[in-house]
Amino acid sequence: MSISISGYGIICAIGNDAKAVLKSLKEGRTGIASMRYLQSSHKELPVGEVKLSDEEMKRMLGQDEKAVISRTVLMGAIAIRQALEHANLDLKGKRVAIINGTTVGGMDITERYFKQMKENDALLPLIEKHDCGSSTHEMAELAGLPNAEVCTVSTACSSAVNAIILGSEMLKNNEVDIVIAGGTEALSLFHLNGFNALMILDKAQCRPFDKTRAGLNLGEGAAFVVLQKEDSLTNEHTPIAFIRGYANRCDAFHQTASSENGEGAYLAMSEALQMAGLKPQDIHYINAHGTGTPNNDASESAAIRRVFGENIPPVSSTKGFTGHTTSASGSIETVICILALLNNFVPSNYGWKEQDEGCITPFDNSKFINSKFKTSPLESILCNSFGFGGNDSALIISKSPLPAPSFGECLRQETCVLAEAIINNVEQLGELREFVSAGEARRMSKLMKAATISSLKALKEAGVETPDAIITATAFGMLETSEKFLLDMLENGEETLSPTLFMQSTHNTLSSAIAIRTKCHGYNMTYSQGKDSLDWALRDARRLIETGKAKTVLVGYHDEATPLFQEFCRRMGKPLPQEIYSRSVVLRKT
Amino acid sequence: MEQLINDLKLQIKEALNLEELSLEEFDENAPLFGEEGIGLDSIDVLEIIVLLEKNYGIRLANPKDGRAIFQSVKTIAEYVQANRKK
Repeated sequence: MSISISGYGIICAIGNDAKAVLKSLKEGRTGIASMRYLQSSHKELPVGEVKLSDEEMKRMLGQDEKAVISRTVLMGAIAIRQALEHANLDLKGKRVAIINGTTVGGMDITERYFKQMKENDALLPLIEKHDCGSSTHEMAELAGLPNAEVCTVSTACSSAVNAIILGSEMLKNNEVDIVIAGGTEALSLFHLNGFNALMILDKAQCRPFDKTRAGLNLGEGAAFVVLQKEDSLTNEHTPIAFIRGYANRCDAFHQTASSENGEGAYLAMSEALQMAGLKPQDIHYINAHGTGTPNNDASESAAIRRVFGENIPPVSSTKGFTGHTTSASGSIETVICILALLNNFVPSNYGWKEQDEGCITPFDNSKFINSKFKTSPLESILCNSFGFGGNDSALIISKSPLPAPSFGECLRQETCVLAEAIINNVEQLGELREFVSAGEARRMSKLMKAATISSLKALKEAGVETPDAIITATAFGMLETSEKFLLDMLENGEETLSPTLFMQSTHNTLSSAIAIRTKCHGYNMTYSQGKDSLDWALRDARRLIETGKAKTVLVGYHDEATPLFQEFCRRMGKPLPQEIYSRSVVLRKT
Repeated sequence: MEQLINDLKLQIKEALNLEELSLEEFDENAPLFGEEGIGLDSIDVLEIIVLLEKNYGIRLANPKDGRAIFQSVKTIAEYVQANRKK
């Protein structure tokens, strides 16, 4: 059984809807340009901005221009409305879920008002728009779906593909009737400066897979797809395409770099093919993650060569058009793949000129006219999406569904708790040295220390060295490191910011660090849906175990509060969040 | 030069959270990278680049250049002395 796609919506640097995006891709027009909307001092950095102001987007959504709404939310709501309109479904009486991938969330608002919030009580409630989960809630309301179940996945740059994977799994497991899945991410000073501190931004147009490539250009946007179970379709709705295979795997190598042989990417692509019941030669186009950094493109090329050998289908990265839209890139590229499939069209690898021996040769659209691919229509497309911490996922989109049922026949497994560990006091952090060396501990923030201790303690008690999957829940993520980076940026300007702090600011930092430590290349997921985060994580763990996809799963709920965040809560008359709370549970089939 | 070496040791210790490394143990000739010496990695290169810009006004555009300059605290000191803007 496959998952059918019955609608899609997209907004990014090369167009405010699917038609415009396709036109730009066909005409070879990039959306990367000088900064226009983002108020950064780094004017030298080209970016792929959505060519609309916040006010214009608010008008499109029928909102008051003066309302404070995150750009992440605005773009996401526009893409969801397009997708729903396209699908034209009757949602009455249906169980609807919105699964959103984002990491930046309401950071643009926090950046703008943080300094004032510190003094002004009236502006303080804006902090509640900061976390990813609240962005998704607001987006659901603006998109006209206030009653939908909402969930936020935050695995850095692979978030949106993981949202689509989660939505598909929920449909297969009959937890929901209709899923709207994808991702949204606005440019923020925070991550622009973070990537800049990591020295992986190119000051010129990015050139994925090119010998002279020197980094990525950041972009922004949102894209969502409407998913249903194939057998739930009524006659008047013919599916556009199918989600035929997917896999979420972890490189478990380094916090920001990819391994030389692309192990995580290799595993994700291979297992997606296996699930789709396809051979490498059945893939007619690969939309690569291809960021334009020397490291990603070499590692991804190595992985593609491992999977496809000598017969590599046309490959291109479309980030030369859109910029790297980070958490949204997975769904933006999924929609680009759907457009490619429907139009039998392979997008170019914009910016590429010179062959790099260590890289694949990307597809050149201008040679397409005379190539053999012209006459053979595209049947199946592979879409790669990788993130910091080695959160590597792959998706296969196909014109035809998987012929044989692949799900629902396995025996339902029961789940039990094997071991549990809790850290809820900073004094317990001293236990860290039982597990890691001083050298390894030196970069860890409080929350990272707590999560490491509770995870390793629980695993030890369970007698499990490497779990099959790692799932993290966190309402606010890495508050301490994020706050330090943000304050330094707001007080001292956009120069000389710490790469280490940024590297440890994404929500998936915890899950991926624990994967590296336990050498776990399996499923790796991070949920950030406010107080519901743990429920989503446990639900996912049970689903993995019940459907036989994993035998042992490590689930962690980790959150921290900085003194400033506690002060904010006190001033708003809210209950004080705990300084540190980390609870890890090892689940296993009974 | 001695003063500069000492300043750099303190700045590196702080920026990289090398809490357990005492100034006495911190040999300016010891290799900063690899298992033989202090054991720093590519992220530390980026932190040292930030530190040099902040404290000495030195801008390194390519992290690859850093690796050659950052062999030891001594080589960093020599580079800073020759290139410092503040």
